[in-house]
Amino acid sequence: MQIPISRDESFLTEFEQAIESPTHWANWQLFKQAYQVAETMKVTSFKELVAPKFLPHINFLPHQLQCAENVIQDMNGRALLADEVGLGKTIEAGLILKEYMLRGLVQKVLILVPASLVNQWAIELNQKLLIPAVTSGKRVDWQHTNILITTLDTAKSAKHREQILEQDYDFVIVDEAHKLKNHKTKNFQFVQQLSKKYCLLLTATPVQNKLTDIFNLVSLLKPGYLGTYNDFTQQYRKEKRDIDKDPYLKQLISKVMVRNRRADTGIDWTKRNIETVWVAFSEEELATYQQVEQFFQYQTAISSITYIREFCSSREACYLSIKKAFEQKENVDIPALKEVLTSIEQLPHHAKALKLVELIKESDEKFIVFTEYRATQIYLQWLLNKENIATVIYRGGFKKGKKDWMRQLFQNHAQVMIATEAAGEGINLQFCHHLVNYDLPWNPMRLEQRIGRIHRFGQENDVKIYNFALKDTVDEHVMNLLYKKIQLFENVIGDLEQILSDLNLPAIEKEVEKIFAESQSIGESKIKLDNLTAVINSHHHHNQTKENIR
Amino acid sequence: MISNLHDFLYEYFSIHECDVILENETEMTIRLTRELDQVLMNRPFYWHYMDKIGRNGEPMSLFLDTSTAKKDNKKEWIHYGSPRLQQIFHHIKQSARFTMLYEQTTGNDKTALHPWLVANIVVHYHGKQKKEAIHSIGLHLINGMMKSNMMNEIDRLPLESKMSDYSFTISPLIKPLSGFYRIFMYIEQLISSESKEWVKDAMTALNEELSLLDHFFKQQEGNQEIFAKEKEQLTERLEPRIDIEVVNAGIFYLTENFS
Repeated sequence: MQIPISRDESFLTEFEQAIESPTHWANWQLFKQAYQVAETMKVTSFKELVAPKFLPHINFLPHQLQCAENVIQDMNGRALLADEVGLGKTIEAGLILKEYMLRGLVQKVLILVPASLVNQWAIELNQKLLIPAVTSGKRVDWQHTNILITTLDTAKSAKHREQILEQDYDFVIVDEAHKLKNHKTKNFQFVQQLSKKYCLLLTATPVQNKLTDIFNLVSLLKPGYLGTYNDFTQQYRKEKRDIDKDPYLKQLISKVMVRNRRADTGIDWTKRNIETVWVAFSEEELATYQQVEQFFQYQTAISSITYIREFCSSREACYLSIKKAFEQKENVDIPALKEVLTSIEQLPHHAKALKLVELIKESDEKFIVFTEYRATQIYLQWLLNKENIATVIYRGGFKKGKKDWMRQLFQNHAQVMIATEAAGEGINLQFCHHLVNYDLPWNPMRLEQRIGRIHRFGQENDVKIYNFALKDTVDEHVMNLLYKKIQLFENVIGDLEQILSDLNLPAIEKEVEKIFAESQSIGESKIKLDNLTAVINSHHHHNQTKENIR
Repeated sequence: MISNLHDFLYEYFSIHECDVILENETEMTIRLTRELDQVLMNRPFYWHYMDKIGRNGEPMSLFLDTSTAKKDNKKEWIHYGSPRLQQIFHHIKQSARFTMLYEQTTGNDKTALHPWLVANIVVHYHGKQKKEAIHSIGLHLINGMMKSNMMNEIDRLPLESKMSDYSFTISPLIKPLSGFYRIFMYIEQLISSESKEWVKDAMTALNEELSLLDHFFKQQEGNQEIFAKEKEQLTERLEPRIDIEVVNAGIFYLTENFS
């Protein structure tokens, strides 16, 4: 075919005029500089990205480059990145942004991320990708700041919303795309209203074969294709069409979604060795454990589950929370309560804590220790310091300066970091490869988040995970029935994410809690937990043969 | 190619007669001239106001750091892809489009200078993606000889905006305008001999997208506006085409030694 070629005729007209008047002439140096700029910024090939050439210090992984190429070439910069946890979605998004900036296609950028990740994004973009992004402070100038990182909540708040919607963004990134799952929410409508040329949505939760998910996603990235929500769902329901089998819809989705799985990356991951560390309570402790359990069973209408869980973590956690719960309450058998509190007070050091000291003392390596409770965190720090083990603590609520400082202290000085759950996301600790789950979260996804802090790109060693569990307690049931059954530790979590949201079980933690709380006996809760894991497992096997949308 | 951004920027600010203090290998402080302040600092109202009250105004200073890692030194960090550098590149491109230069000669002998048209050209290939090729072409405006890679050929020549005392120029026989057409034709010939695989790819992708678009919008009568707009955008994005852009060009008077 004949390709249309357009010549730069306007240059010729200008040249004829300019050559008459010397004031328009550039000197030799400047003339050369203009040529150098053109040479430097030249896009040399259809396929290759320009950005990696300008970022020689980053070792991009093949799937990351592939992803950026896909999004830029085939998706016109509007896509959902749904990689599994830990494959470097931030880097992928940053690379795409950088590429557009280098090609001069993007200047004004809005990046919406969870509050806990704002700082992380700023660091990655500035230090790794050399993108001058700033975070939204108290006085934020939406109009004159080119590249801003903020949270969805800040952006949509009444204070800022109008101003932001007035801006024309070249590029919008949303790193909390799971918050956009419902098209009726303010979040969704806000992002939809943003004036944007390119748009990346990031999520670790895969998109389902659910009509709503697909509708919402496509409506943000390819507006109008699916019409209104009602028309779309009605049509599919009426014709009883299977989304999986609709080639057009499949193709459409393949044009807006990238999902890499660990297995597809072709990368040699370091291994993940998992050891369950069984700890036995001392007799005194076990007696008190039963005392707490019975107190709640016979004396109150309150489920004991929260308190015995806490007791499995530390005396302090349990003590404080019982005290707090009964401070305002009346009609409680006070002597019995006092008795319980007294026997907790008199306990020696917690068996799990002593085990932790023992484990750490055997090694010179760095450890990150996760606990669910702040009281336990403080107790452990006190205990380890007493044993001359240098520790730092880390909490989600720390200000970002303090977080950075703690991370640095851990890297350079301390042997142990004790972190609470909220720290699970947003901190990368590749320099550490021993992780202790001092108490197990009841949601396996949270466990993966924890492990993801150290088992990620840049980790050079095999990762060792120690899961602490107390025999003859609720710990044991959760460990045996929930974790072992789902074979969580062997499987990479990407599958689990899929399963949980397929089964509509995103709140597995609540599920487990309910089972323990509503069951009359240990036997009953065992059966119920069994059922839960059976459902998850069968779905897992089913899924192994069936590939997702793509 | 820019091999060292720091040197490049130093040269840029020096060409524009700014005072530049080089603090170390990556940091520099630039006291802008009024001209560059107006180009780079984005404060037209200030200058407008200064003019109105008849004052000179105070140009600002820039504190730049070109290192590859951002440091916490309160300097503005500048690097490839940063808006500041884009802005400077844009300014260079705008202000260095045309030139007329003379090769400097020494001695008292009368030296003839031959006219050359030098054009630096970017060919933009738009398909599924974009690609660029750069041609630097020199055309002898007397005998029609054409040279490729011209900027490299003349890189080291002493060229100035004024002619040396004893030099004289020979008038072109070929007009610059028809010189440009010769150059365009030459480039188009080059293009026609290249592989057309990318054209096929782009057409395939376009047809795929269009049929997808048709499928989804044929059921929606109310949405014809979006349909038309989307179709237009797809076509514009994917339909293969080539733009020949002149980055800059000039008349160069060169001694006979150069040919």
